[in-house]
Amino acid sequence: MLHFLAKRLPSVALMLVVTAVIAFLLPRLGGGDPAQVVAGSDATAEQVQAIREQMGLDRPLPVQFAEWVGQVATGDLGTSLISNRPVAQLIGARLGSTLELAVTATALMIVMGLGLGILAGITRKGAPRALLDGAISVLLATPPHVTGLILILIFGITWRLMPITGEVSVFDDPVRGFSYLIMPAFALALPQAAMIARLVDARMAQVRQEEFVDLAVAKGVPPRRILLSHVLRNSLGTAVIATGIRIGEILAGAVVIEAIFARQGLGMLAVTSISSRDYEVVQIIVLFAVVIAVLVHFASEILLAALDPRIRLDG
Amino acid sequence: MSANDTHPHHPAGRRPRISAGTARYLGAFRTPRGMIGGGLLLVMLLAALLAPVIFPGGVDMQTRENFQPPSLIHPFGTDEYGRDIFVRCIYALRISLSLVLVAVPLAMALGILMGLSGAVSRRLGEVCQRIFDIILGFPSLVLGICIVVAIGAGWLALAITILVFSLPQFGRLARGALLTEQTREYVLAAQVLGVPKRKVMTRHILPNTLDPLLVQASLSMIAGIFAEAALSIVGLGIQPPTPSLGTLLNVGIRYVYAQPMYTAGPIIMLLLLALAFNLIADALNAAVLNAKRT
Repeated sequence: MLHFLAKRLPSVALMLVVTAVIAFLLPRLGGGDPAQVVAGSDATAEQVQAIREQMGLDRPLPVQFAEWVGQVATGDLGTSLISNRPVAQLIGARLGSTLELAVTATALMIVMGLGLGILAGITRKGAPRALLDGAISVLLATPPHVTGLILILIFGITWRLMPITGEVSVFDDPVRGFSYLIMPAFALALPQAAMIARLVDARMAQVRQEEFVDLAVAKGVPPRRILLSHVLRNSLGTAVIATGIRIGEILAGAVVIEAIFARQGLGMLAVTSISSRDYEVVQIIVLFAVVIAVLVHFASEILLAALDPRIRLDG
Repeated sequence: MSANDTHPHHPAGRRPRISAGTARYLGAFRTPRGMIGGGLLLVMLLAALLAPVIFPGGVDMQTRENFQPPSLIHPFGTDEYGRDIFVRCIYALRISLSLVLVAVPLAMALGILMGLSGAVSRRLGEVCQRIFDIILGFPSLVLGICIVVAIGAGWLALAITILVFSLPQFGRLARGALLTEQTREYVLAAQVLGVPKRKVMTRHILPNTLDPLLVQASLSMIAGIFAEAALSIVGLGIQPPTPSLGTLLNVGIRYVYAQPMYTAGPIIMLLLLALAFNLIADALNAAVLNAKRT
């Protein structure tokens, strides 16, 4: 296991460093002089210069970078130059909404992905197979924002079953909260679930060709048991790793889904911050989104290695 | 021309071989899937190109009434200023198609270069693979956000986002083809006969990478079209009032009760584009597999 960790760590570390550098550079790439913003539009050149020195913006970039990483690592996420509020506070206010959405979507993704995948895996021929194949292909090809808009048109406009925009926290009012949550969560989860289903299906077909399945059939093991303890068990590793990757995509997809369904989450905060050039906020959201995606991916690889000795002992 | 003297004479010669390859790709468009997909794309391309001729009134021509329901004159109805939504959707195709038709071929060319760079120096090849890993590690939209912040929202930022994002797929496919073709007998034979390295690459390895890359190109076009929509919906792509499928949806979703077609129209266009490129990818894939079998 240690060997496996040692092999994977460099690429994870590289990814984290690249992300940190990009996040650090974002406000500088975005143009506009932070010192000028703080000083206001009618400040004199000397005042701007004084503020620049006070903020440490006159020092070399590597020094500023090291300082910034130190601050973020110790929990100081900086202050928004636009609203003058701590970034941590701004993010904290929006975190709940996005977490509700992401957790619901992830749960839906796992349930639907495994369900559809296993269903497709045991349906090998005929019309049901073609139907499942078609459904998975269509879901796979339709990204969350298009899925979300189609859901709005069907369930929100044509049938008027669901509220289409706004939100209520599930902790304040579970029933109404979920009625606002269900469509955006489905929109986020469906394409990712289809991806997992496709992988589980393909893996099951592959495992069926293995010799130990033939052996089990020859020994007279009942088909049900072959399916559950031979085929399925050896196919789930794929699902685990796929889930890890997909969680990152769900977080990123939340940006557009929140905009479409007018939910006041982190994605919406990122979008409004970019429009108002509040790059100190954007920087932290980008950093967190990628770090979470990378760490979840890494965690699922560790989990897979723990489940499957071939991976952790290989090379 | 010493290289030519030492090179064995190919029985089929150079010209027929290339045209055979092209014929195979063209043959993909004679299958039902290829015909429907190619036809659909052709119609949309022509509509986008000729939009100023077909609809000389332009995107801003107003009718007397806003939010008219769909009719024969206005197939998708009219928007909040009484402008024809269908006309705006056709003009929007210009943006979507110009984006992917510029960005994806560029990504393909750059991807091939980076993927095949491993043949020049192993180190360079490794570095390119690490770059691809990093790009793929970023959730797609986060990458788009970074690029938008760096160079400002607009056509260019979208094109760069699409380019960067489709790069790894092409690069990995090209490298995969390089690794399998490198050890084939005909490549070794060419090397033994003293064919220069550059020639081995362009004449033997490159043509063999094209099959999977062309299929991937049609799939990347779909991803690119959807990416424009995603970034423009949240206001980080094309800026209103320019009509693009994303900006139309951005405004349309606000009036979804008054005019559902404002949202449904651009969605229909998006799905038609995706369908066309998907069918083309399918047809190309089948043609490539067929050619391998015979």
